[in-house]
Amino acid sequence: MVAPRANWKGYIKFGEVAFPVALYTAASSSERIAFNTLNRKTGNRVRREFVDSETGDPVEREDQVKGFEIEDGRYVVLEPDEVAAAIPNSDKTLTVEAFIPCDEVDDVYFDKPYYLAPDKLGGDAYKLLRDGMKKAKVAAIARTVLFRRLRTVLIRPHGNGLVGSTLNYDYEVRSSQKAFEEMPDLKIEGEMLELAKHIINTKKGEFDPKQFDDRYEEAVAELVKAKIEGRTLPKKKAPPASKPSDLLQALRESAGMSAPAKNKRTAANANAGKARQKAARATSAKSRGTGAAQHRRAS
Amino acid sequence: MALRPHWKGYLKLSLVTCPVQMMPATSENEKVRFHTLNRETQNRVVSHYVDSVTGKEVKDEDEVKGYQRGEYEYVILEDEELESIALDSTKTIDIEVFAPRDGVDWIWLDTPYYLSPDDPVGQEAFSVIRDAMAAENMVGISRLVISRRERAVMLEPRGKGIVLWTLRYGDEVRDAETYFERVDDQPADREMMPLVQQLIKKQTQHWSPKMVSDPVQDKLLDIIDAKKKQMKKPSRTTSKSKEKQEPAPSNVINIMDALRKSVEAENRPGRR
Repeated sequence: MVAPRANWKGYIKFGEVAFPVALYTAASSSERIAFNTLNRKTGNRVRREFVDSETGDPVEREDQVKGFEIEDGRYVVLEPDEVAAAIPNSDKTLTVEAFIPCDEVDDVYFDKPYYLAPDKLGGDAYKLLRDGMKKAKVAAIARTVLFRRLRTVLIRPHGNGLVGSTLNYDYEVRSSQKAFEEMPDLKIEGEMLELAKHIINTKKGEFDPKQFDDRYEEAVAELVKAKIEGRTLPKKKAPPASKPSDLLQALRESAGMSAPAKNKRTAANANAGKARQKAARATSAKSRGTGAAQHRRAS
Repeated sequence: MALRPHWKGYLKLSLVTCPVQMMPATSENEKVRFHTLNRETQNRVVSHYVDSVTGKEVKDEDEVKGYQRGEYEYVILEDEELESIALDSTKTIDIEVFAPRDGVDWIWLDTPYYLSPDDPVGQEAFSVIRDAMAAENMVGISRLVISRRERAVMLEPRGKGIVLWTLRYGDEVRDAETYFERVDDQPADREMMPLVQQLIKKQTQHWSPKMVSDPVQDKLLDIIDAKKKQMKKPSRTTSKSKEKQEPAPSNVINIMDALRKSVEAENRPGRR
């Protein structure tokens, strides 16, 4: 295999200890299905053009500048070198500012993960930080200029090495408390909770990323085929929402504690069958190992 | 400000179903936003679409998605048609599997969303699913079509709601072993471990969003402010401070010394 190229090289510094590291992208995103934008009237592809909003004339790339609107229609213009001046000079060092207990890490801030590998002769200090954090069950908060921005990176042990996740800035993350504040405080107890816990335990398994394949593209191809053949796919019906009055009964049926009500028999059976199939697929996918990932590429 | 939901659909556990809405947990709203201007006229630059053959402007309502079949052959797909795609996961998050939370490594987490009931009628069913997961310390694993891809998703209770994470596909996370090849299998030096532990302990803090502040954005706002004040006289001087020095890497022999110094520094009065 060709040696991967580092996205960044620098140092990690904790206390007075510094060692060289190289940073590599740990995850890439696979492509989603691409549609082209067409002009409905002509069926031709469309192309994007940048024009002056007043004069309507095209504006070339080199004539475009950044503007910050201070009031209606008035802008402060910032040239690229002025923006660059706001970014501190890089000392190429991920300086550990604090360690935080792993269970306090708020994962909603996570942006992108990177592998941090020891570069040249950094192995001993690297392993000290790794094993020290493992033992103390903490992750390190470090900062440096990375990809033209001063970023906070959360560093934690990962197998034999270290992973650094860039974190979103405070103003980029919505408060979950605010997001959920309008919900009433409902605490579920008693039989309902016991039944739901029982259902969860019947569906206990593990996350196996290899068993997930993107079926969307295939479904679009199916839709296109139907359209060409002049068929229309059936409109999807919304599943009936469980009414509060039926909730306990639905839970009992789901948990297999009582016979399904007559009018729900088909739905119940269909679902139970599907769940069983899926569970079977999950186990077989696990034993097959890499089967599903290959299937996705092939499809 | 009321937030527009990003997606509306159903959350389903076996025979229990409730209407839900979802919004991204992250937002660009508070970021310093720039507009693109034409340097010569100082007018805004806008983008529009033109027909690639006729060169004429295409109105928004005439823009439509095309699925490419041949070099110049497209099948037009209207949004309503895409809605009727034959996948349940476009509308319903059907929880298929539950897994212990620590069984899903952080590296699989892609994008977080907040999931909440969309209708008072579903509040109880939503709460049942949430509370049972919390009681068992489990997360739900399901599928959902987001932005034209069917993703594995993880549902984790959080406060009154649920955080829904899209998870990366198996082949999107690169194999760690390739990168950690150079790390030998020996554990870290045992003699130095107590010092490292001491240092970690002294520097351990509680998590705070202050750790992810953005001084660059603050600085940009300062620059904008300064320019605003002297809009008439646009002269500005930038003085770049000298390149900071890179630290000398600690070699094996002096790691111990450096650790001792670090712990001493932490012990000095005046530190937090």
